[in-house]
Amino acid sequence: MRPRTFLAVAVAVLVAAPGCAAIPVDPEGTLERASGGVLRVGMSEHEPWTALDDGERSGVEVRLIEEFAAGRDADVEWQDGGEESLIEQLHRGELDVVVGGLTEKTPWVDAAALTRPYVVVTGPDGSPEPHVMAARRGENALLVALERFLLEHEAAVADELDGERP
Amino acid sequence: MTTRSERRAKTLAERIELPPAKTRVLQHAVRLEWLTIAFLVTAVTAMYLALGSSQAMKAAWIEDLLSFLPPIAFLVTNRVRSKEPTRDHPFGFHRSVSVGYLVAAVALLTMGTYLVAESALGLVSADHVPIGLVTVFGYTFWAGWLMIAALTYTLVPPVLLGRAKLTPARELHDKVLYADADMNKADWQTAAAGIVGVLGIGLGLWWLDFVAAIVIGASIGYDGWKNLRTALSDLMDSRASVFDDRTTVHPAVAGIRDAALAERGVGAVQVRVREEGHVFHAEVFVVPSGAALGLGDLDRIRDAVRGVDWKLHHVVVAPVRELPLGNLPPS
Repeated sequence: MRPRTFLAVAVAVLVAAPGCAAIPVDPEGTLERASGGVLRVGMSEHEPWTALDDGERSGVEVRLIEEFAAGRDADVEWQDGGEESLIEQLHRGELDVVVGGLTEKTPWVDAAALTRPYVVVTGPDGSPEPHVMAARRGENALLVALERFLLEHEAAVADELDGERP
Repeated sequence: MTTRSERRAKTLAERIELPPAKTRVLQHAVRLEWLTIAFLVTAVTAMYLALGSSQAMKAAWIEDLLSFLPPIAFLVTNRVRSKEPTRDHPFGFHRSVSVGYLVAAVALLTMGTYLVAESALGLVSADHVPIGLVTVFGYTFWAGWLMIAALTYTLVPPVLLGRAKLTPARELHDKVLYADADMNKADWQTAAAGIVGVLGIGLGLWWLDFVAAIVIGASIGYDGWKNLRTALSDLMDSRASVFDDRTTVHPAVAGIRDAALAERGVGAVQVRVREEGHVFHAEVFVVPSGAALGLGDLDRIRDAVRGVDWKLHHVVVAPVRELPLGNLPPS
């Protein structure tokens, strides 16, 4: 196809695209499905971010996810597991979000969509450790919604973490 | 024997390849190429700052990076080509133009092929590209808009630069400049395809990003292929052609034959003309019509031939017994 022809076709497609209401749109419609429905979240334990004690979930990221879901009128369906298997499920579309104290340096960058860092703490070796969550790759409406939510809660998270320190 | 000062004057005249009117055109072309480089620096920086994970945006960015090559090749060879011949380089440095041309063409072809392959792989593996939020001056919005803004900035200026460069390219009969202008002129399509790709991601049409990237990669590769053929044809000493079409013989070739034939004492003429960068190198074989041609006659024929076109830089006139020469097809 010649470039001009391609452009003409592409522009026509974009103009005709139904209801360009909100950009970006999820290719698989994850955010729309989860809102008022179920948000499927994978969790690998990593205190103080995520913790599981006698079936009781706690931690910074657990609270954040529950609040995010509540804001969308969604129930959270938790799935426990190791990071690698959770990320694989996320990539296959069996999960919507994965949490577990992930940082920007995570090797899963090509398999998931990482949010912007929502808090930066000091790591064990004294270097800055920017924390992120992982959303299903390409579900950009979900990614943007989650990032907006985290952005609004940055200050609260930082205060909470400061309070927990001895 | 010529005196030292005469020799100096002659080498100087040979060094300056262009007539005065053309020199002004060349200066204009040099300014335009510097302007192109200045614009490209701002464009590449803006796009780098906005660069996300969109494949189409990456392809458009690489295209802009490669756009540095033709202006740089033009400016560098512009300095090198008119250097005086040395003992090691007795034919001078005119060929540097073809070398620069070749390097730029190979870079375009390689990068274009790479982009097509990488984008096709992304398409096949159905990689859904994520684009999240970005904060600029305290405003937070979808990063795709920033990418589209950067791409929009690169939409118009290259077209204007390309059109401005076409005129000097035509007047100087300069293939590198013409190829550069031609690429600039088509550059808006790259930026537009990049915008289509990013908008595609925004609309949930993840595949549109890779399709747009493939289109951009293919257009880069095609530019490379076209220029590679021209550069190789020049380096293989194919007959001199016009600047915008490899297959059309340059009118100077026929002009030389006619000019030589019109000279007194010339019975038959055979000409071969090759391109050495911006200038032509002509060998003119003449069969005397009657009495033998003296040195003065050969000088006269050479001057007549050089008058045909300012690009005729090296002209060798050789008297021969008969034509056509064994290894030379009739011109």
